[in-house]
Formats: sequence, C-alpha cells, structure tokens
Amino acid sequence: MLELRDLHTFYGPIEALRGIDLEISQGEIVSLIGNNGAGKSTTLMTISGILKPQSGDILFEGESIRESAPHKIVRMGISQVPEGRRIFPKLTVRENLEMGSFSGRGDAASAFEMVFGLFPVLQERQNQFGGTLSGGEQQMLAIARALMCHPKLLLLDEPSLGLAPIIVSKIFKTIREINREGVTVLLVEQNARAALKLSRRGYVLENGQILLRGNGAELLNNNDVKKAYLGEQI
Amino acid sequence: MPGEIPPKQRFFCYNLSMFLQQLINGLTLGSVYALIALGYSMVYGILELINFAHGEIYMLGAYFGIIFFGLFTAVGLTAFSLPLALALTFVLSVIFCASYGFTIEKIAYKPLRNAPRLSPLISAIGVSIFLQNFVMLTQGATDKVFPPIFGTAGFRFLSVQMTYLQLSIIVVSVILMFCLRFFVRKTRMGKAMRAVAQDKVMASLVGVNIDTVISVTFLIGSGLAAIAGLMVAMYYGLVNYFIGYVAGIKAFTAAVLGGIGSIRGAMLGGILLGLVESLGGSYISSEYKDAYAFILLIIVLLVKPGGLFGKAELEKV
Repeated sequence: MLELRDLHTFYGPIEALRGIDLEISQGEIVSLIGNNGAGKSTTLMTISGILKPQSGDILFEGESIRESAPHKIVRMGISQVPEGRRIFPKLTVRENLEMGSFSGRGDAASAFEMVFGLFPVLQERQNQFGGTLSGGEQQMLAIARALMCHPKLLLLDEPSLGLAPIIVSKIFKTIREINREGVTVLLVEQNARAALKLSRRGYVLENGQILLRGNGAELLNNNDVKKAYLGEQI
Repeated sequence: MPGEIPPKQRFFCYNLSMFLQQLINGLTLGSVYALIALGYSMVYGILELINFAHGEIYMLGAYFGIIFFGLFTAVGLTAFSLPLALALTFVLSVIFCASYGFTIEKIAYKPLRNAPRLSPLISAIGVSIFLQNFVMLTQGATDKVFPPIFGTAGFRFLSVQMTYLQLSIIVVSVILMFCLRFFVRKTRMGKAMRAVAQDKVMASLVGVNIDTVISVTFLIGSGLAAIAGLMVAMYYGLVNYFIGYVAGIKAFTAAVLGGIGSIRGAMLGGILLGLVESLGGSYISSEYKDAYAFILLIIVLLVKPGGLFGKAELEKV
C-alpha cells in the first residue's frame, strides 16, 4: 500500500533521513521505533508532504506522491496524528472534527457517528474549545480528527507521549479497533514494547537509517532491541 | 420670554449636542478605520505579516470609485439611475481592488513565504511606494474630486445633524463586519482560515490548501479596504495619491490597539480610534488630531501589550 524507497530528507542543513526503505501492506499495523532524533517524525512528515524529500520515492497504492502537496495527499487517504497532537486550541471540539473532514473524503455525518462511538467523551465536550481538554482527551480528539476523512492509512506519531498508563492502554486498544475496521496503521512510538506487541511488523530507526526490521515478536526478542529500547539487562 | 431655556441649562444642552455630534462624526470615521483595520488584522493573523501596502488598496478603492462613477456619469447611467450607478461603482471597485490585493500577494509575498520575516515586510513597503507613484503618474499629483451627489442632505435628531451619507457609512460598515464575522465563524472557508491562523502545518495535514486560504484572506481584506476608500471619497469629496499612507497607519494603529490578529479587536479598535480622534479634536485641540490615536496606542500597549483583545504572546514549542 505504502512504499518508501531510499528516502533522503533534509531538515534544515541536517540530513534527517539517510535512505529509508519501508513497506506497509493493506490492513497491517506497522510500528516504527527509535530514539529521539532518529528521524521518526521526519519520516511521517515526509510521507504527508510537509517535508519534501531530497531523493528517493514515496509510492502510495502504486502512485508516486513525493511531489504532491499535503492537502492532495490527505485527499488520497493518508491522514496523520502528529506529534504533540496539534489540536486547534481556539476551535471547539466539533470544529476540530469538522476540520478533520475538510478534505471532503467520504461522508462527515457517518464519520461523526464513528468517532463519537469510539470516544463518547468528545461528544459530551463538543462545544468546548480544543485547548481546554486534558492531555488524554486531546489525544483522543487528535485521533478522531484524523479519522474524520475516512483514511486508508493512518499515521500516528507518539500517541502515548505524556499520558497516564491507563489512558495509554485505552489509546492502544482503540488503535487496534480502528485497524480491525480496515484502516492500515503506521505507528511511531518510543514506547517500543507496547507498539511492538500491537504490531504485525516493526522497523527500528537509528540516525536516519533503518537498523532492524522484522515481525513484532521477533523484534521484541531481539537482544539489541531489548537492550536499547526495552531497558532490559541482557 | 416664556419659552427661553435658562442659561445654565442652555450651556448643558449645547454641550450635549456637541458631544453627540462628535460622537456621530467619530463613529463615521471609526467605522472606516475598522474596515481597513480588518484587512491588516486578517493578514497578520494568517501570515504574521504587516501588509504595509494595505493602505494603498484603500487609496485605489477611492480612485476606482471616482473613475467608474465618472465613467457611468459620462455614459448617462448616473442620470438614468443613481442607485444603479453607485452599486456598479462599488462592485467594480471591490473587484478591481480585490484583484490588486490577490496579485500583490502572489508577486510580492508568496515568493518570500519561507524567507526571514523582515523580507516580506520590506517587500510590502516597496509595493506601497510603487502603488503611490503608479497612481501619481497615471492620475496626476493633484486632488481628484468625487462629485457631491449626496450633498449635506440629512436629518436632525436631538438637535444633532446627521447626513444620510454618514448614516450609510456606519450602516454599511456594520453590515460588512457582521457578514465577515458570520463568514469566519460559520462557513467552511472561514473555519479553515481560523485553523490556518492557529497552526498552518496542522491545517495542511487535514487537507487545507494554505495558498487558497491566503488568497481568500487578501481578496476579502482588499475588498473591505476598497469599500472604505470609496466611502471616504464620497464623504470628503477629495482624493489624492497619498491618502493611503495616513489612513493605513491609522488603521494599523487600530488593529494593534484591538489586538492584531483579532477580528473583533480590529472592529472595536477602529471605532475607538475614530471616537478618540473626533472627541479629542473638538474638546482638546484639533491641531493634534492625528496625535491622539498614537497617544491612545501607547497607553494601551503599556497596560496591555497584546492590545485590547489580543492574547499575550505565547512561544510555540
């Protein structure tokens, strides 16, 4: 469904991605783990078209999207929940969700029904400003907003960041649910254990390059991964 | 005499009517400032750019008004139907000014979108100088006259004289401001504008075409400035190529006063500025008419640096 081929992206003068190859098939949850500054968010921003790659290619359903503008990429069905959630603070919850359906993909009414079903709290707070929600609610709103355009591929950037463990497990449960509904997921996480448990396959990113790849269970048992990302003593 | 008002009361009546008279003058002036200030504030909200060429759009609006109205008079349309001629003058001025605003953004600001913030600002000053000289060369350096079609016709109420033109300026401005408010709050494009003002990257990520939103912002801001320019041309009757400078500075002051980036702030800032100028001019001294605006600005910024409706600057992480 999505294929990155030898992708190089500069972030200012720094070469943040130094040749990424990555593949995602329809219906998968794939996780991308790595330390701060490894290039995880840069990868997602390059897929979404906010950052333009220096070289390499991005294929979505067989079509190159490396030259496409961000709003066109959304229209094709790639939706992102960015790092730090980026809720529109001065729009109400409902308006935030309406913005999610701005691209005009699919029907907004059914999308509202779906996201209010997933996150009933958003329905209760729909007239509140986005900026007044708690961190966990903002994360739910960010995911809901990204779902409003009926995406084929959902890019999630650190959805567990800064949230209480009980909310994290609820978010991860929801991601699995969304995936069961047929949405392909690319999950970027520092919380490697939770991410790998959820995913069919995973990639480990370091210094802008793919260090390891494999299925979730394989990576969880890999000694390098255990040492570097799961905090286990070998 | 039986009907005479005692001296003390007469003094009071005189003062009250003068106050109300200045209030009306101030409201007229203020609603024009507000219309121009909206353009500054909207563009700043979206691009964080102070569009110094905006005052020139207002000046162009006045000139287009004179040109088109003259044209309609020459072909006999004005004699046939004055309202029709006026309506067409307004529509054409708005269309022409909006296309100037649109083009200026594409030529002078868009190529500098990722440049340091000073570059588009300098570009804006360049556009402003260019437009002033362009109009001076093509239209001449002397004052142009807008024919006094309304004259001083008006009505009295509570011993205060209000012309129909003043009333129209206030009413038109208020209607336009309500329309804008509705547009920004309720329509799809208005919501997209607010989203872009809050977070451009995120707005792109939900599928908003940032360039379209920026263009719409310039179209609307320029259209409002055109109407302001045309109404002022009718109000004062005289126009020259330099009127955009002072009006632009005043409207910019109004926008900052209200809190730049805030639409409500621009409206109230403009009206407040008009009132202060008019009341200050009549009660203190008309010599310093232009200074009151800036004194008010300094006081507000000392007390509330973000302006009346602005928020304190938050550093984005």
